Amino acid sequence: MLWTVDPAAEEPLYAQLVAQVHLALARGELTPGERLPAARELATSLEVNVHTVLHAYQQLRDDGVLELRRGRGAVVVQGAGTAGRDLSVVERALAAFVDAARGAGLSTEATTTLLKEALKG
Amino acid sequence: MTPRTTTRRWRARRGTSRRHAPVLVAGGVGLALAVVAAAVAWGWRDELPDPVASHWSGARADGFMSLEADLAVMVGTSAAFVALFVAIGVRAGQSAAARKVAAAGAVGLSALMAVLVPGSLAAQRGLADAADAPNPGTATALSFAAMVALGAAAWFAVPGDPPSRADGPVPADAPRVPLGDGERAVWLRRAAGGVGIAIGAVAVLVAVSSALASGTWGTLVVPLVLALVLAAMFAFTVRVDATGLTVRSALGWPRSHVPADEIERASVVQVRPFGDFGGWGWRIGRDGRVGVVLRAGEGLLVERSGGRSLVVTVDDAATAAALLNTMAERAR
Repeated sequence: MLWTVDPAAEEPLYAQLVAQVHLALARGELTPGERLPAARELATSLEVNVHTVLHAYQQLRDDGVLELRRGRGAVVVQGAGTAGRDLSVVERALAAFVDAARGAGLSTEATTTLLKEALKG
Repeated sequence: MTPRTTTRRWRARRGTSRRHAPVLVAGGVGLALAVVAAAVAWGWRDELPDPVASHWSGARADGFMSLEADLAVMVGTSAAFVALFVAIGVRAGQSAAARKVAAAGAVGLSALMAVLVPGSLAAQRGLADAADAPNPGTATALSFAAMVALGAAAWFAVPGDPPSRADGPVPADAPRVPLGDGERAVWLRRAAGGVGIAIGAVAVLVAVSSALASGTWGTLVVPLVLALVLAAMFAFTVRVDATGLTVRSALGWPRSHVPADEIERASVVQVRPFGDFGGWGWRIGRDGRVGVVLRAGEGLLVERSGGRSLVVTVDDAATAAALLNTMAERAR
């Protein structure tokens, strides 16, 4: 799968990685039983500290998505994710939401805050 | 023809012959091994039975021929392999990897023959009847060791490709991954298994049972080598990042790295293992294309400076290709 980090973004680097795993699971790009890359390899390629990747993997374990085993690495647990549910409806609604927010002149921060508030409800 | 194009053509031709020189040297070494081995065995002609044993079933010799014929078969087989590998190295030798394979094949297979045949004859010195010749299990094991050792030496002796940056921009119609200026990205995927590993597993089982049935421990080397080849050939990690493309086998070797600044363009291709590469595994295909071929279907094609190209059969190749184009563009 594709992993990206943006050091200029406000979101911590480890949280960016966590979010990508959740998204990949939702899209079915990651499936239960699959092994994630070795933390060192991922860290080297993304030019981040290996502890940043380990932090992300630990967060994902606490989220109930990964199993961390010495020697075997990080494995996606059975039943994690939604196994490739069709997200096109969500993506279309999101595009409309972003368009509307931009049309109303909302900042990125204000828009994400709105989204987070709505998710709490 | 202007003087300038003459010079350029002459340079191009000279570059080609210089590039192929190590392959030709390896071919010469392979032929020399065969000739020296034949000369050594010919020196024993007064001590050897006539005919000599040339084939065994289990512990019993069951194939016989004259010494001259036995040595002629050895030299002829070596010469045929040398010719085959030199032809591959010259015709499909754009990548150093292909030239290394050709040199290793020419030297390694000649070394195998040059130890195996004299080894089987050495045990027959002083025998009156070749029917008493022992199965050359030890010579078999030694000949495989010689093949691996000399083949590896030839592999390392052939120099790698010098760095050569790709000319011009990445084509505008090549797909890319949209990334922010400071954004970093990596694409990682495992590619493993396929038909090759199934065929290989059967071959290992057959080799083990035949070695056990015949009771010759030396031939157990064959399944051992096969198992190593399987591990090296049929499980790979594919990585695309700012440094370019890296394909690494589960054993750590073979591995291939294409630096981002040498990439002309990356794209998705449909791979036919037999039609394009003559089989599965780490291969040299038509036109010198290097292939890591584990299955039929979608693969990542990377075109590189100097007419070199690499194919890896991997899922989600479209994402890998797009990210490689993005990284190649950044490296310009």
